Formats: sequence, structure tokens, C-alpha cells
Amino acid sequence: MKVKTAGALIILVFLSGCLPTSVIDDILMVEAEGYDYIGDGKVLGTATMPNYVESGNQGGQGAGLPSTAAMMSSVSGVTYDSKSLIDKFQSKGQRPLRLGKVRIMIFNKRMARHGLKKELDFRNRDPETGRDMQLAVVDGSTNKLLTAQYQTTIPVSRYLTDMIDQNQEQNYPKSNLHQVLYSYYGNYMDPFMPMIRKEGMHLEMRGIALFRNDKYVMTLPEKNVFLFKMLFEKFNQGVYDYQYSPGKHVVIRNVYSTVSYKVRNGNGAEPEIFAKVRLMGDVRQSAPHLLKKDYHTKVEKGMERDIEERAFKMVEMFQKKRIDPLRLGDLVRSYTRQFDGASWDERYPHAHFHCSVHVNIMEMGVSQ
Amino acid sequence: MQKKIREASQVSPIIAFFITLSIQIGIGVLSFQRTVSRHSGQDAWVVMLIAGLSTLAVMWMILRLLDNEQAYGQPDLLSIHRRLFGKWIGGMLNMAALSFVTIFGVVTLRSYIEILQVWVFPQLSVFGISIIFCLMVWYAVLGGFRVVAGICTLSTLYMLPLILNGGFELQQAHFSNLLPLLEHSPQSLMQSYMQAIHSYLGFELVLFFHPFIKRPEAARKWYYFGLLTALYIYLMVLILALTYFSQAELQTEIWPTLTFWKAIHFPLLEHFDIIGIMVFLWVFLPSISMSAWAISRGIKQTFPIIRQKYALIFVLVLFVILSAMIRDGARVEWINNLYTMIGFYFIYAYIPFLLIYQLIHKKMKQKQTKGTG
Repeated sequence: MKVKTAGALIILVFLSGCLPTSVIDDILMVEAEGYDYIGDGKVLGTATMPNYVESGNQGGQGAGLPSTAAMMSSVSGVTYDSKSLIDKFQSKGQRPLRLGKVRIMIFNKRMARHGLKKELDFRNRDPETGRDMQLAVVDGSTNKLLTAQYQTTIPVSRYLTDMIDQNQEQNYPKSNLHQVLYSYYGNYMDPFMPMIRKEGMHLEMRGIALFRNDKYVMTLPEKNVFLFKMLFEKFNQGVYDYQYSPGKHVVIRNVYSTVSYKVRNGNGAEPEIFAKVRLMGDVRQSAPHLLKKDYHTKVEKGMERDIEERAFKMVEMFQKKRIDPLRLGDLVRSYTRQFDGASWDERYPHAHFHCSVHVNIMEMGVSQ
Repeated sequence: MQKKIREASQVSPIIAFFITLSIQIGIGVLSFQRTVSRHSGQDAWVVMLIAGLSTLAVMWMILRLLDNEQAYGQPDLLSIHRRLFGKWIGGMLNMAALSFVTIFGVVTLRSYIEILQVWVFPQLSVFGISIIFCLMVWYAVLGGFRVVAGICTLSTLYMLPLILNGGFELQQAHFSNLLPLLEHSPQSLMQSYMQAIHSYLGFELVLFFHPFIKRPEAARKWYYFGLLTALYIYLMVLILALTYFSQAELQTEIWPTLTFWKAIHFPLLEHFDIIGIMVFLWVFLPSISMSAWAISRGIKQTFPIIRQKYALIFVLVLFVILSAMIRDGARVEWINNLYTMIGFYFIYAYIPFLLIYQLIHKKMKQKQTKGTG
């Protein structure tokens, strides 16, 4: 028995040394990657890595902000499109670079227009990184965005993901790596990502970057993002600003919003798609005297018509540009037996989109 | 006729449930979603359901076979072979059956090592880790059948959190992916059927360990419950994968379950997938231990001179060598396909044949005795 125990212990001791280790103090953990396309298949890549050693701020007790002073915090260099940035930068790393905690990848507009096919394939193949990381398109240079100074001392990777995450809880539709890969690989649908921009000392969301397959096509402006999310998924924290008449606004915060679809004539030349949206919300801000007794007909109906009209226009624009970020093609497929997928690309622009919205104002604040 | 199994080394009937379930949930559970839905798309769950129900039918045949055998001696496959086909042909068939079980063990072991290599330790040597794994198996099998059964029982418990985390998947499920229902032709469903069988293979080991279950009549329902639970888990995992991934995306994922785990992270636990893979060791351990046990016992039965202890060492060395011989991912796939092929014919052709042959044999014997008597 003793011999067996000793044997087991010896085996454990000797075999545990067989594989290379990644101790957190001895590595640089990359948290954000940026890609700037500079033409001719070349990319200026940037990686940032906060380090967790030798915390600079006193009394941080490990829960404080990691200091970025002790070690290099970003690295950049030119390489060919689709090269793993980590492999490229290993020669510049003060310590080994590791990829396990990449939280965000950002691309500049030119890179996105050039196409993200190789990057997406690479991410999908890579077992190391998480699948809930964020992707975003930057209006401007990603290198400048990642290396700039901001009001906050928190590493820029965390700043970026925090901003995108909290926005996606509200008006922005969910668009992490999983969602992008879902639409990118899936048939009859196209991915989208948030569009961000550096404004002075801070960052901001600038709408949604829409793609055709892997190539950037256009930006959906900020004011339409609510409509997009309303048609894309059910949610409960959006804010919608309705302009009743010039200078008079009513703003509702929705308590709940659901969407259901119906499809008719899915294999015909002009398929018909019916979207039915139910919006329940509270009024948060309103021009005085708008919420009188007949607010139901005036405000609710007006809002319904306004949303319907703008949603219709938005989808019409998608059809004209032949992009399908709302996954309507997949929807038609699921409602149609023996769906004719080959001709869908031709039929999509001719599809009729009908949107009916029902707004229900639940409460109107604490004053009357 | 061999002597009866001592009661001290038998297990109670309810353990049959855990053994069947933990052997059923094998290496297939991580990767079957892609292969099953390759030809049948969103209707893959129908295939999985039909294949699962067919295992119940095969189990009925197996239990019938073993019950009939009860009158003549030990109810297991090797004794049946011996009795029906004589010493030489029977012995050869025994060797063939044991080779099949060897493939079962090696496939499970090697596929798990492949996952370890791809997901966690790229530099891991197959040789080293298979030795460590086999030491664990050695420890289990050395304790006899009761320890192996105990590992099966524990494995069922450890499996639960891995299966239940499907709840995370549910939040992002697109149930419209399952529509339109039943769109695929029977031919494409048939093509997927083979792949579905790969996941369900394993329960035929009942043919080896049945004599070790106390009160076989009481164990019968537990076998069926085990199979039904496995069917339920497979169906659930498959439907979650079909709704979580878009169809074309699913075809790019070799291990959809693990890819899904990449999306789970907690504040202090960035990589749930790595923890999950390590815990999955417990899901594969029963299959490998049971096959090692079955083979070593089979060797003892066929060549009574060799003690099971020594046969076991031979078996484990064989496991290590065979695993090391399967060098890369392509060969892992090849051996998996081979295993599915053999398994398919074993459960759908050989077992019915054996049942019929047993009946004919009995009739002939009766005639003979009538003729002489």
C-alpha cells in the first residue's frame, strides 16, 4: 500500500512539470485588439494589456485599478491581414503574451469595408478566447483609440467593454462574437456591430455598423437604433423619443417590448412579412399639456404611426442595400416549407414588410 | 458450466440505472450535434429520438437473450458464444467481441485526449496522459466490479451540472431554428441515423456485466430507465445546440457543447470551458473502466489460467499503445467511424441473429433429446 501511494505521488510530482505554465504574474494578458487596414492586404495591429502585478495605487487591495505603469501596456505593428496579432507581437513582448482574456476586438471602417472574413474564421477556430467578447467598428483609428489617454484610469479595454455592455442592456441590440458568428455563418442573414468613436477625452456609441456577409456597408444612425432593437429582439430598457410636433417631444422608457412575426407567400416572388410589436412604456419626459385626457388618441396613436413609418423606411433601406441584419431571410425560411434559398437574394428586395405597432403607455410619472 | 458469481461482488438492481446511463453518455455527447445534423438539419432531433427508442428495442432483445441463457449457466455474451458455437468458433467470436469492446475503450480515451490537446494543453503528449488515465482505470478495475459500478454512480452525479448549464444556452435560443418541422426526406434522415448510433453505443456492454446485477428481474426496469434518461439528455443537448447555433454555423463547430461553454464566464472564472472539460473526465472514466473491466474478465473467462489482475495490465498497456498509435485528429475520426460501423451491425444485426440462433439451438436440442429418449 505504501509503495503504491509513494508511486502515485512520484508520478504526480514528475508529470506536473511536463507542460508549460502561464502564471499570471509572468505573462501579459491581452485584453483588446485593434485592426487598422492600411491597404494592400496590410494591417496595423494594436494590442493592449493591463497588467496585474505591483499594483500602483495604495490601498487598492487587489480590488483596485491595476497599474499600467509597471509593464508595457500596448504594442502595435504592421502585419498582413488575418495574421494572429499575438504571434506577431511575441517578439515585442516584455513577457509572453497570452490570449485567453481578450474582451474586445475593434476594426476601423476601412478594415471593416475590406472584410473581416479572415478575422472571424480565426476567432471561431481559436479555442482560447471567449465567445462572449465584443466586436466593434471604430469611426477613426483604432490605434489612436487604444493608446489614447481618457478621463478614466481604468484600462481602455475595460472602458470599451463596459460602455458597450451597458448600452446593449438598453437601446443597442446584443452583438457579441456569438451573435456575429451566428449571422455571419448562418444563411440569409448578415451581422452587425456597434459603431464607436473617440470624442475628445471620452468614447461614445455612434449607431450600428451594418455588414453584408463580412463587409461593412453602412451605419445605422443612433436615432434608429431603438427601432432596430425593437424589431430584433424583446427587451425592456429602451428609450424612445417621439417628436409630436417641432419642439414638442414625448419620451417613453419602455417597460416591455415584444415582437412577433408572420410570413405569407415565402416562396413567391414577393414574400410578405408581418411584424407585430407590442410596446409598453412609461412616460419620462414630455412637453407640457401633451398628456391631457385624450393622450391616448393623440400621443399613443401618433407614436404608433411614427414608429411604424420609420421602421418601414428602415427595413426598406436594408432591402435596397441588400443587407439583412434583422435576419428576416432566416425568418422566412423557418415559416416556409421547402424554402427556395437559391433565389432568396433576388426576392429579398421585393419582399413586402408590414409593421404594426401597439403602444401602451402605462404610467406618466409622479406629477399630473 | 462456470460457477455462479458471489453475492459479495454483485450490485443491487438500481445501480443498473447508473451504469447504463453513464456508459450511454460517452464521448459522443460533445460532438454529435454537428454530425447528426449534417444531413438532416433542423430535423436531427427526430433521428435522435428514433435511434434512442431503437436502443430500447435492442435492450429488450439483449435481456431476452440473457434471460434465456439463465437456465444454462452464466448469462453473458462470452458464455453464450461458448455454449452455442463450441470451444473454437465460440472462442474466436469471443475474441472478436472483446476487440470491439477494446475499440470502444480506446475511442473514448483517445477522443478525450484529443479534446484535452485541442482545448487545454496543446503540448500534452498522448503517451503520458494515457498512462495517467490508465492508472486511474487500473485502480478502479482492481477494486472489482463494485468499484466500477460505484464510479458509474458518481459519474452520474458529476455529470449533472454539466448538463444543467444548458440553462445559459436557453437564454439565447432561437426556437424558430427548429421550423419547419419534418422537412427532410427519409433518406437524409437515414444518413444521420448512423451518426446518432455513434452516441448511443455503449449499452451493449450489458452483455458482459449482467451476471453481476442482483435479482435480474428487478434490474430490468432500471436498464430501460437508464436508456430513457440518456435519450432525454441527448435530445435536450441536441435541441439546445440546434437553437443556439444557426444551422450553417453549427457545421463549423466540431465540439458544439464546448464552443457554447466558451460563452459562459463568471467574474472570477473566465473560462468555464476548461473546468468543464476537466470535469468531463468523470463522464468518460466509467466507459473506459467498464470496457477495461469487461475485456480483462473476458480474457480470464476464455483462458482460465490468466488471472484477471494480470489480464488487466495487458489490457491497459494495449490501451496506451493503441491511443499513442492514433496520432492526429484525422485518425481519431477514422477510428470513430470504424467503431460506429461495427457497432451498428453489432446491435442491429448480430444481436437479433444471436437471439434467433439461440431459439433454433434450443429447438434442435429438444428434438435431439426427444429423438434419443
